[in-house]
Amino acid sequence: MLKIRNLTAGYGKVQVLYGISIEVTRGQVVTLIGSNGAGKTTTMRAVSGMIKPSGGEIRLADRDITGLPSHKITRAGLAHSPEGRRVFASLSVTDNLLLGAFPRLTFSRARGDVNADLERVFELFPRLRERRSQVAGTLSGGEQQMLAMGRALMLNPDVLLLDEPSMGLAPLLVEEVFRTIARLKGEGITMLLVEQFAAAALTVADYGYVLENGRIAVHGAAAKLKDDPAVRAAYLGQAH
Amino acid sequence: MEILLQLTVSGIALGMIYAVIAFGYQLTFATSGTLNFGQGEALMLGALTGLTLVGHMGYWVMIPLVMLFGAAQGIVVERLGVAPAMKTKSEFGWIMATIALGIIFKNTAENIWGKDDLKFPSPLSEEPLKFLGVRVLPMEILVVIGAIVMMLAVELFNRRSIYGKAVVATSNDRDAAGLMGINTGMVITFSYALSSLTAAFAGVLVAPLTLTGATMGTVLGLKAFAVAIIGGLNSGMGVIVGGLILGIAETTTGFYISTGYKDVPGLVLLLLVLAIKPAGLFGKAAIKKV
Repeated sequence: MLKIRNLTAGYGKVQVLYGISIEVTRGQVVTLIGSNGAGKTTTMRAVSGMIKPSGGEIRLADRDITGLPSHKITRAGLAHSPEGRRVFASLSVTDNLLLGAFPRLTFSRARGDVNADLERVFELFPRLRERRSQVAGTLSGGEQQMLAMGRALMLNPDVLLLDEPSMGLAPLLVEEVFRTIARLKGEGITMLLVEQFAAAALTVADYGYVLENGRIAVHGAAAKLKDDPAVRAAYLGQAH
Repeated sequence: MEILLQLTVSGIALGMIYAVIAFGYQLTFATSGTLNFGQGEALMLGALTGLTLVGHMGYWVMIPLVMLFGAAQGIVVERLGVAPAMKTKSEFGWIMATIALGIIFKNTAENIWGKDDLKFPSPLSEEPLKFLGVRVLPMEILVVIGAIVMMLAVELFNRRSIYGKAVVATSNDRDAAGLMGINTGMVITFSYALSSLTAAFAGVLVAPLTLTGATMGTVLGLKAFAVAIIGGLNSGMGVIVGGLILGIAETTTGFYISTGYKDVPGLVLLLLVLAIKPAGLFGKAAIKKV
C-alpha cells in the first residue's frame, strides 16, 4: 500500500534522513521506533508532503506521490495525524472532523457516507460527541488527540499515519490510545505508527522498523523485534 | 447636543467605510500573515471602474460587476506581488511588492481617468432625511447597511460552508490545513480576491458621498490600516468598533477643534494602542495547547 524507497530528507542544509526504505502492506500496522532526533517525525512529514524529500521514492497504492504538495497526497488517500495534534483551535469539534473529510465533500475523493463516518468517529470517541459543539482549542490534551485521530479517519484513508499519538498524555489515556489503535487495526485500517512507547507499539504492530540517526538499523516482524536483545536494551528499557 | 448627534451620525457612515476596508486587511492577514498595502488603491480602482460603468447601466447592476473586477484585481496582486515573496520565504518582500503595485495602479488610474476629482452620481436622493433634528443622507444609510451586509456575508460563508471552514482552517494552521487536502495556496489567492472585492465594493459605496479620483484611496487605505491595528488584526468586532471610534473622532474633532486636526485623535489612539495593547483593543492571542 505504501512503499518508501531510499528516502532522503531534511530541513534546509541539515540532512536528517539518509536513505530509508519502509513498506506497509494493506491491512498492516507498521511501527517506526527510535530515539529522539532519529528522524521519525521527519519521515512522516516527508511522506505526507509537509516537507519535500530531497531524494528517493514514495508510492501510495502504486502511485508515485514523491514531492507532491500535502493537499494532493491527502486527496490521493493518505491521512496524517501529525505530531502535536495540530487541531484547528478556533473551530468546533464537528467542524474539525468535517474538515478531515474535505476532499470527500469537495469532489476530489469518493464521497461515500460522510455522516455515517462522523457517527462512527463519535462512537469510537464518545468524548468527542459530548464536546462536538465545543471549540477545539478548549479541549484537554487527550481530547485533542482523539480529535486529531478522528479527523484523520474522516478522510476514509487508504493509509493512516499516526505520529506520537500518546505524546504528553496521562498513562490511562495512553492505554486508551493503544486500545483505539488496536480497534482500528481490527477494522482493517492500514497504519504507519510512530511511537515513543516502543513496547506498546510493537505489541499492536505487525512489523517494525528501528530508526537510528536517519537510517534503518533493524527491521522485522514486531514480535521478533520485541525479543531482539539489542532492541530491548536500547528501546524497551529492559537491559538488566 | 443636536450637533454632537449630527456629528456622530456622520462619523458612523465614515467609520463603517473604514471598518469594511480594515476588514479586507484582516481577510488576507488571517490566511497568509500578509497585507495588501495597496488596499486603498483597490478601493479607488473599484470606484473609478464603477464610475465608468455607471454611465452605461444602473448603479445596482454595476455593483456586482465592480465586485468581480475587484476580485480579479486582488488575484493579480497576490499572484504578482505576494506569492513570489512567500515562495522565496522573503519575510518583507510582500510589503514592498504590494506598495509598488499600489503606486502602479494609482499612476495607471491617473492616466485613464485624469488627475482631477470627479463627481459620482448618487443612486439615491441627495435630500437628507431628518430624524430628531439630525440630517442623514440616504446614501449614508446605504453605506452602513452595505458594509454590515458585506461583513455578515463573509462571516456566514466562513461559518456555514465547507470552503469557508477551509479558509478558517488555513488561518488556524496552514500546514495542518494542507493535511486536510486543502490547497492553502489557493485559499490565500482567494482571500486576496475577497479582500479586493470588499475594497472595490466599499469604493462604489463611498464614491457618491465623496469625490472620486486616483488619489482617493491612499488616505482611506491608511486610515483603515490604523483601524485594523486599533481593533486588532484578528477581530471582526474590533474593526467595527475601531472604525466607529476613528470616524466619530474625526467628525467631532473637525467641528469642535479644527478640520486641520481631524486626523490627530485617531492617530493618537493608534499610538496608544500600539504602546499599551499591541494586539489591538479586541485582538486576542491564539489559544494553543501542546
